[in-house]
Formats: sequence, structure tokens, C-alpha cells
Amino acid sequence: MNVTAARLGLLGMLLSALLLTGIGTGSSFLGPDRVIAALWGTGERMDMVIVWTLRLPRVALAALAGAALALSGALLQRATRNPLAAPSVLGITDGAAVGVLLFLTISSDAANHLTVPVAWQPAFAGLGATGFALLVLLLGGRHRADPLRLLLYGVALAALAKALVVLLLIVGPVYRASQALIWLAGSVQAAQGRDVVLLGSVLGLSLPVLILLARPLDQLRLDPDSAFATGLPVAAVRGAALALAVALAAGAVSVAGGIGFVGLLAPHAARLLFGSRAAPQLIGAALLGAAMTTGADLLVRLAFQPLEVPVGAVTAALGAPFFLWLLNRRGDPHA
Amino acid sequence: MPDTHIALREAAAGYGVRLVFEGLTLEIPAGQVTALCGPNGCGKSTALKAMRRLLPLRHGAALIGDRPVTERSARTLAREIAMLGQTPEAPGDLTVRDLAGLGRYAHASRFTGPGAADRAAIDAALSAVDLSDLADRPIAALSGGQLQRAWLAMTVAQEAPAILLDEPTNHLDIAHALETLDLVRRLAHEMGRTVVVVLHDLNLAARFADRLVLFRDGRVTGQGPVSEVFRPELISHVFDIGCEIVMTSVGPMVVPFKNSRAAAQDGQRKAA
Repeated sequence: MNVTAARLGLLGMLLSALLLTGIGTGSSFLGPDRVIAALWGTGERMDMVIVWTLRLPRVALAALAGAALALSGALLQRATRNPLAAPSVLGITDGAAVGVLLFLTISSDAANHLTVPVAWQPAFAGLGATGFALLVLLLGGRHRADPLRLLLYGVALAALAKALVVLLLIVGPVYRASQALIWLAGSVQAAQGRDVVLLGSVLGLSLPVLILLARPLDQLRLDPDSAFATGLPVAAVRGAALALAVALAAGAVSVAGGIGFVGLLAPHAARLLFGSRAAPQLIGAALLGAAMTTGADLLVRLAFQPLEVPVGAVTAALGAPFFLWLLNRRGDPHA
Repeated sequence: MPDTHIALREAAAGYGVRLVFEGLTLEIPAGQVTALCGPNGCGKSTALKAMRRLLPLRHGAALIGDRPVTERSARTLAREIAMLGQTPEAPGDLTVRDLAGLGRYAHASRFTGPGAADRAAIDAALSAVDLSDLADRPIAALSGGQLQRAWLAMTVAQEAPAILLDEPTNHLDIAHALETLDLVRRLAHEMGRTVVVVLHDLNLAARFADRLVLFRDGRVTGQGPVSEVFRPELISHVFDIGCEIVMTSVGPMVVPFKNSRAAAQDGQRKAA
């Protein structure tokens, strides 16, 4: 227990350091002291402008998107009892992107202006994500005993969703085409305060549900029959966990695009560090996911300056080999 | 005969389009060990799942006391009837105590977590299966017999008046099998639980159970006290074998041999 707390504390410190560096880094470097002062509201006027309007939205969005995707992946892995489940693997990320582009296509007028409030965008992301998630789970859920089957359906439907995204990008009159491109790879460069508030509220609203789900998720470490025999309403808990996972992934994708592999990698790393208990693993996954995307965003800004490389490209470049390693690994995937 | 604790009435259940049994009626008396026996695929495990509501009935009812099991929430039902399946699964980093603690889900408060009553039940269960010394060991580091006992501890910690066990001696060597069945007997005779156990081994069933239920092709072909059901003609019919019952100092034993029909067919094959 103390080891767990110490590790969580260290992770929190690592994330704070990454956040401060992320906010401080840019065309003019700000030291941590100046970043903290500006965040606290006691900094110089110029620092305040740089921090609050230029840098914070991007860094905060990267962190929140990473945390949301990691939580989504952790919930999916628990609910499906499949260690390879993740929002990008099950077609949820790409489904959300389809929803977003569908929204942009049908709600843009001839001059590429939106005819309805942009606040509807996450709702469409949610619809797209839910649609594709349901398809994958219905098709793959018939073969419970075979974890790879679920994955294959997910990969097939994700490919379909990707094709739809490209099609909609080319065919549709798209509102700010450059912004639309971020859903292909995932990016936080165009972050706005509005996006941060939106994703922040999705995470905030999911918090009480997560707290209520902690014990049921612990019980779900048992196989479904044993879990039910000990009194867990298995179907309801799975349904709630899946719905929350879809909502979190949809929220992240609608504002930051399909940042790949964070939802797969972070829960696994958290599992290795914190074991199978739900509360520490979920908190650890959220912190790790936030640190991964913040770090990846920092990397693209430092390494590829002045080019803007989507942060999703980095997480995918790091995540894909890990995914291959997982697929290749033998033995008990859940231990 | 004591009161009926669990019953199936005109029950039909199966998987997909295949019905494993229909019109099955079965009564389990309170406070005794009832063993369900029969050849593979005869419906004994399916009957157990139907009693625990792990499988929906297509027809008929599963009753506990005199109320259908479908009338209770998952949590309430778990306080009345526990079950250990054939292949339970849990992550290897759980300790023995953690695993036993999972048996307390239906009792522990949703908000404050496990309390004194839960800890007492877990300790009692661990000592009943003789695992108190290994309480803090991760289950991945247990031997097969220890792991099976850890799962039994979870089931016992649930403190349900009825316990269903599906092949609890599977994969156990004979010493651990005897130990496990000894615990099963104590659960019924010392702790007053009603125990239903699916057993492959007829001799162990006859030795440790109070009552036998013999299944064949989804039908009950005999049920009652061991002395009434453990008969050569009944066992021959159920398993399609010839057999003899011999009395030993620990109880009756069945000695199976190929029945005359099968032997005749075998003879013909050899001759040809």
C-alpha cells in the first residue's frame, strides 16, 4: 500500500514537471518559477498572456486527452477482460472521428461556416464512437473465449471508419479543413480554452461514476460467473464501464483527435506498477496517460521545430512496437 | 427427509439451440451433501448453473426456499447461495486473503469497504481451508491444491447457507481431493450448510455425500440416500458399463467393467 502511494506520488511529480516544462517551452522559454507565478496570477503581464492564452490550453488539452484515453482503455480492458482492448483498437477512436466529420459535413454551409453551435460536435463524436463500439462488441462479443476475435473485428471496423474519415474529408465541405486533419492522427496544436473546458467537464463528470465503479471493477477481476456468484450484477457493471469508456474516448477524440496507443499503453504500464486493484490502477493509468501525451507533445515541439508534427504520430510510433510485443507475448495475458 | 432447500421444477435449459435437459425436477435437502453424478454431458453442471441463475431457464423454475431465484437481486441471491465453478479465474497478483475477501462482496458496505464482520468471516474461511499461514501469498505462487483451497475459501467466506461446487476435486491429487471433500462434509455437518457438489468420481461421491443424484442424458435416473442409489443395476444403466459394488472398511466401492453388450461388440471387432 505504501509502495503504491509512493509510486503514485512520484508519477504525480513527474507529470507536474512535464506540465511545467511543457508550458515553459516555446519560442520564448519560461523557467518553472515564472510559469508557476503566472499560473498563480502573480506573474508579469507578458508571462500571463503567454501562459494563459498561448501555452496552457495546448498543454492542458494534451494532459486531459491522455488521461481520458488511458482511463477509457483501462475500463475497456477490465470490462471485456481483454488485455488488448483499447479505444483505438476497438474502433472507438475512429468512430468518434467519423462522428465529428459527419457533424462538420452536414452542418457547414457553402462558405464553410458552421450553421449550428460547435458545442454539438462532441455529441456527434459520442454518437460515432458509440455506434462503432456497439458494432465491434456485438460482433466480437459472440466469441467470448477468443480475445483475438474481438480485436480483429475492432481492426476491421477501425479501417472502415478511417476510410469514411478520408472520404468525408475529401468530399465534404469541411469547416476549417486544416483543423479537420487533426482527427487523422491526433493533435493538440490548435487547442482552445473551450476544448479544455469541454474535456475537463467530461472527466469531471466521470469521476463520481469511477468512484462508484471502483469496488464493482475490483470484483470483475473474477471471471463473470464467479463475479455473479459472489453478488456482482455483472451485465450492469460491464455496461456502465463500457459506456463510460466510450464517453471518455469520444470526449478526448472530439477535441484532440485520435491520439493512438495511449489508451493501450498507459493501462498496461499502470497494471505493472500498481497491480490489479481498480483504484490505484485507474489513477495510475490517468497520470501515466497524461504524462505520455504531455511528453509526446513536448517532444514534437522540441524535435521537429518549426514543423508541427501531430502528437498522435509520436504516441503511435512509440505505442505500435509495444502493441506488437503484447500480441507476441505468451502466457497469462491477465496476470 | 429434511426440508427441501433448493429445487428445480420442470426445468429446461441449454446452450444455443441445444437443450441439455427439459422437464427436470430435482430436490436438494437442507444441511446435507448432495452429489450430482453421471457421464460427461449428462446435464449435471448445467443443472448446477441453473440453480445459481448463471444460466436462464427456458421453462420451469429454480427455487431456493419456496421462491424462484429470478426474484432476487444479484446481491441478495449471493447472500443465499454461493457457487464455485470448474474454471474460476482471477489475476495472479491477488493474495489468498484478497481472493477470500472477494467472497464478501454481497455483505460488505458499498461505501466503507470491509468491516470487522468481513474480516472475521475471511479469517474463519482461511482457517477452514487451512490456508491461514499463506494468507499474504499471491495466488500465482500457489500449488494447484492450494489454489483450489483458496477458491474454496472465497466461497466459504460468502457465508451463504447453500454452496454449489462444480468438480471441486478436478486437477487435485488424491490427498488434496480427500482433504477438499472432508471440508465439504464439515460445511454441511458442522456448519449446517446445504452443499451440492458435482463429482466425477463415483466412489468419492458415495463416501462423502449423504445423497446421490444420478443423471443420464438430461434426466434424473435415481436420487436418494447413497445406500438406496449406489446400486449396480442403476450405475450400470447410467454409465453404460457393467459393475460390481464391493464393501470396504471406508464404504462401498464400485468396480466397473465393460458391459456384456460392449464386450460382445469388442469381441466381434477382434474376430474380424
